[in-house]
Amino acid sequence: MSELNEQQVALISAYIKQYGIAQNELHDDLLDHVCTSIENQMDEGKSFEAAFEQTIKLFGPGGLKQVQQQTFELLTEMNENMKKVAFSFGLTSTILLLAGTIFKLMHWPGAAVLIVLGAGSLAFVYLPLLLWHKLKESPSDESLMHISGFVGLTLTTIGVLFKIMHWPGASVTLMSGMGILAALYVPLFYFKKYKTSANKSITLSTGLVAMTCLILVFGLMSVRSSSEMNRGLALVSDQLASSNANFQNLDELYNQADESDKLVSLRKRVSQIVTEIEKLKTTLIAQSEGISLDQAQKIEMRFVNSRWSFDIPTHVLFDKSTTDEVLNIYELGELVSQFEIQMLEMYPSNMQKAISNLFPIKQDSTYEIDGEKVDWAIYHFHHVPLIGVVSELSSIELAVRNAELQVLLYTISQSAVSESPSGDQGASEAQSL
Amino acid sequence: MHKKLMYICLMYSNELIKGTLKTIVLSLLVKKGRMYGYEITQHVKEETDGKIQLTEGALYPLLHRLEADGLLETEKENIGKRVRKYYRLTENGNNQATSLAAEFHEFSQTMNRLLNNFSLKPSYNV
Repeated sequence: MSELNEQQVALISAYIKQYGIAQNELHDDLLDHVCTSIENQMDEGKSFEAAFEQTIKLFGPGGLKQVQQQTFELLTEMNENMKKVAFSFGLTSTILLLAGTIFKLMHWPGAAVLIVLGAGSLAFVYLPLLLWHKLKESPSDESLMHISGFVGLTLTTIGVLFKIMHWPGASVTLMSGMGILAALYVPLFYFKKYKTSANKSITLSTGLVAMTCLILVFGLMSVRSSSEMNRGLALVSDQLASSNANFQNLDELYNQADESDKLVSLRKRVSQIVTEIEKLKTTLIAQSEGISLDQAQKIEMRFVNSRWSFDIPTHVLFDKSTTDEVLNIYELGELVSQFEIQMLEMYPSNMQKAISNLFPIKQDSTYEIDGEKVDWAIYHFHHVPLIGVVSELSSIELAVRNAELQVLLYTISQSAVSESPSGDQGASEAQSL
Repeated sequence: MHKKLMYICLMYSNELIKGTLKTIVLSLLVKKGRMYGYEITQHVKEETDGKIQLTEGALYPLLHRLEADGLLETEKENIGKRVRKYYRLTENGNNQATSLAAEFHEFSQTMNRLLNNFSLKPSYNV
């Protein structure tokens, strides 16, 4: 009986691998089968080449690849219930996510619930089912690939969910999910393809293209918006902040006004608000950026890297436990309300309504986000990025300063009018006429 | 076209063979104890005078599935530079083989009776 030599066996083995038989068990089966068949035919007097050709022909038009395909299909047949569950969860989460996205775009209420349910069933039911199925159907040396794909996809889904819902921790989750996909899954996937591929250079290049795409998405995520727009917003923020500096010295005007008790206490109130807002802004920047308060005081917004993150600002402004040193946003709102009352008292009652309408901070109005009624603080500060929060705080400061200036000018002009009969030169001249 | 060639058989239609493949393999293993893939194809070919020829495309997927289902177990032997995998029935597989064979036997009897009745019908007209 003829026996194939080592080279011939190696040749057949390579041929089988080349046709994409990745499963070791199946490879062993087929190798033995082909070798035995060739040996038997060689016993009948055929040459190795002729016997080889004849044996391969028997595999049919689909060839070896089809044997593997067929094996996979038979091995991985889910039972009917599993199929139904997997299918219905896949379909449900797709529909929920689609509906949620449309609701979100149209600003209809209920978008949040739909998106959370959709992403939840995708990440916690459908993807695990898929992983279980993949692990069962493929050889064990591929399980790292499937697990990394599962973990990466799950984290990415949760990250996207958190991002859409503006929940804290979104960026970290999303980044780590995509990082796992880019660093583990894609290389493993293409390495496996590369090993068994007939045209290695094509596989290599598609693998590289896939990696590049993922890296590009990474890059785009960190850029987030065009640099021009970014710079423009930062400039506005810095401009707002520096406008307040113009109010540093109102002493001269205060000297000309009567130092009534009301005016003195109003001035104190303003300086309290200004101090608190400046402290708050500095703390927000320092904590977001991880720098000292001194550095935070000097830095301009366009140099603050964390200007688009809202996790820390929202935490500082809304979480009571962290606000020992600085006011939270409701306490600040309370101070501003007290200022508004004091400020209005400086005007005669017939003017108060008009002046009140002119004051730009309207805490009593109702605001809406995606059809949900929210209060002033939530609308202006909750989940607003650092740059927006700092700008809003600057504009509150500016509004208070402006109102203060108007009160001051009004008081001075009033006192000028009332003093005129008793000796003011211009006024007495006018009287004598 | 592809599917048709999966089960090369010279006499019987594809549909007929497909449902009985499992029965054929399991019954064969009951008789022979342990066999390797090529041996199974050759044996079926010889026993049926070439009327049924299993192909690799049909056989190996089935063997792997039966192994995964716990009906078969394998043992490996080195043959020169390669490994040969012998398949043998587990206890579970043995039971299954018996019941499948019994079922098929009954089925073929029923079919016979049914078809005989049909073939008698024309004789009324003659």
